[in-house]
Amino acid sequence: MVNITINGTSYEVPEGYTVLKAATEKGIHIPTLCDHPELTPYGGCRLCLVEVDGFRTPQPSCTLPVSNNMVIRTDTPAIHESRKFVLSLIFSERNHFCPYCQVSGGDCELQNSAYDEGMTYWPIQPNWKNYPVDASHPYIILEHNRCILCRRCVRACGELVGNFTLGVEERGANSILMADLGVPLGESTCVSCGTCVQVCPTGALIDRWSAYRGREEESKSQKTICTACSVGCGIEVFTRNNNIVKIYGDWDSAINKGVICEKGRFLPMVEKRERVLTPIVKIDGKPKAATWQNALEAVAAKWSKGEVAALVSDRLPAETLSLVSGLVGPDKVSVIESAGDATRGLKKPFEGKLADLKKSDCVVVVGTNLAEDHEVAGFFVKRLVPNGTSVILIDPDSNPLDQVADVVLKPAKGGEAALLQVLADGKATEVAAKAAELLAKASNPVFIYGKSASELTIKAAVEAAQKFHGMVLGTRGGANSLLTAFLGMEKEAQLDKAKAVLVVLADDEPSQKLIHQLEKVPFKAVLAAYHSQLSALADVVLPVAMWAEESGTFISMDGHVQQAVASINPPEEVKSSKEAVQEIASRLGIKVNGESWKDLLKSKAVVTEIVEA
Amino acid sequence: MAKPKISSDWMGGCAGCHMSFLDMDERIIKLVELADLRSTPITDLKVPDESGVDVGILEGSVMNTANEEVVHRMRERCKILVALGDCAVFGGVPAMRNFFTIEETLRRGYVETESTDENGKVPDDPELCKQTRVRAVHEVVPVELHVPGCPPDPNVIFYVLSELAQGRMPELKGDKINWH
Repeated sequence: MVNITINGTSYEVPEGYTVLKAATEKGIHIPTLCDHPELTPYGGCRLCLVEVDGFRTPQPSCTLPVSNNMVIRTDTPAIHESRKFVLSLIFSERNHFCPYCQVSGGDCELQNSAYDEGMTYWPIQPNWKNYPVDASHPYIILEHNRCILCRRCVRACGELVGNFTLGVEERGANSILMADLGVPLGESTCVSCGTCVQVCPTGALIDRWSAYRGREEESKSQKTICTACSVGCGIEVFTRNNNIVKIYGDWDSAINKGVICEKGRFLPMVEKRERVLTPIVKIDGKPKAATWQNALEAVAAKWSKGEVAALVSDRLPAETLSLVSGLVGPDKVSVIESAGDATRGLKKPFEGKLADLKKSDCVVVVGTNLAEDHEVAGFFVKRLVPNGTSVILIDPDSNPLDQVADVVLKPAKGGEAALLQVLADGKATEVAAKAAELLAKASNPVFIYGKSASELTIKAAVEAAQKFHGMVLGTRGGANSLLTAFLGMEKEAQLDKAKAVLVVLADDEPSQKLIHQLEKVPFKAVLAAYHSQLSALADVVLPVAMWAEESGTFISMDGHVQQAVASINPPEEVKSSKEAVQEIASRLGIKVNGESWKDLLKSKAVVTEIVEA
Repeated sequence: MAKPKISSDWMGGCAGCHMSFLDMDERIIKLVELADLRSTPITDLKVPDESGVDVGILEGSVMNTANEEVVHRMRERCKILVALGDCAVFGGVPAMRNFFTIEETLRRGYVETESTDENGKVPDDPELCKQTRVRAVHEVVPVELHVPGCPPDPNVIFYVLSELAQGRMPELKGDKINWH
């Protein structure tokens, strides 16, 4: 600990802190633009200048480490003059005319900083240089004229996402952001995670969808979790008049610390599927809009105890899964697309936590396309690479991680388990020998397996992890796939004898395989948010909520129990999946319990330790 | 003591700031009780008194030689010059043309618009004023008070004018600053 004095008050702060961090923690406001708590300090904008005794000139507090007996002043007239001068220079560089900008009026950190300094005009007028606008990207517009070159986006792209798409070219006033080696953003290696948009302090990076739809103060915000996959990222959903305005990663989430992917941020905005807005009952082969009562009657009429199977999405809340399990019996429920079950024969937890990935010096990825299925987990792996962490990829098919991996091993299909064993035994040859070497010298290896890993592969990964004192992580499938595996739902559906089937699809898209499987079943009741080939095939369709309209419990891939909170209300006739299943149960007189997963979870081991919120 | 005299004028703007001034509604009666409202572009008297006024308000940016005349005349005749609105303060919408040459803007305006063709003629009568680079008022003459906004909020305009009318210099900070 060191002693410092800020504005006449003494504080004790840990060694290695920057002056900015120390001040912020003690509740002393220092304005910043290029600094961001989740990024390495850069010292580019000079707005955070403070006076320090013994220094000839004001110092940038974001990059100045504290030292013992340092005397700092953040609030002197000279400092305010410096800040105004720094802001004047920034405003003079490009086109910062506020009235045309979507973030003006509260969402712009540059404008807010100027207001805070009481600036009513620009002492130095702009230089009227024209910079290009890059509108080649489907979700993002890069408006160079509003850029202040703070490089937050550049750092976020590299440090948080590990993608290193953004950089800066040229010098001085000609400095300009560039994607890759100067290609349009839309043709670059950008993975559309939008982290750059979230960290941009001005309106230079424009989210095409949310721009001008409402500033943050005009919107309601709801912190919740993303249910697109099992990583369980925290998100913040901004809504206005029951419409989603934008989705941000939640900086406070322990799992993702603000980083989310295209699936979490942008895909919900471009949803084109048509909503199911009323119950639909097929009469003489023709679908007709019906009341809930009529639709429930139609389901009840075809319900014969013990002969009804259920298929569920693995993106449903725990409560709905429990209710369905109670409704048809635990043996009769399976997920619509199985991600495999690694829990069979399990004695104790064998999987680690995603957060421990950052300590790893060697990551082995097998049986998963992280960039496609669990993108944020993929970012966590990619961003380790510059620190010297080696990545070994085992995948018979091409995989976007090929580009990043130190060693890419392409065994024949089904040969992953054998290859892992060879690596573990140290008997590998050729390319694999390099992988074995990296593994052997690693002190914290992590083995990540996904839904295409066979049971044998998982076993081999677990054994290898034991041998190298490493950790195993399973990514599985949808948002609640750890729980569906635990509840025994990760299995192929047995539909041969079923007289009826209840499909709780919610906002998932049915696969061709699923539709084909269901064709033979005499009676199909589908709980869906969107029209699909499956809803067209169904005898009864009950309209249920999409992800943002339903609250419930989700257990992430590494065992974090989290609450999704509804951010918008469903349309009038649409019920949450919980309510809908409950209604069916009430109509049939079957007692169901939406909380039954809790007791089960206590009674037997899970692949990874459960972390209650 | 005589009531302080207030005059206003406009240059390259849209008159929106004067509209916002009128949006103070019945408080305008309060204002004329406090101050002597002299020339404005929306009243009969168009030119500030030669004998001078206390407060001169200018809306709009300085786009041409005619605007320059207006600015200099107001500056000479007032004690406190107020730049009202984003155009007067920063250059505003008209300043967009600074990203092009004057020839380009004139050609776009008189020849290349959707309703004109190559027969369009850029006015070149020597009697007409000359277009210049678009400037904020403070680039041409010293300004005592900047009231930004597009337009400034009527509450802010009322606050500014009532303070000035009572001989105080208004302080714009917090929610009174809005560049829009």
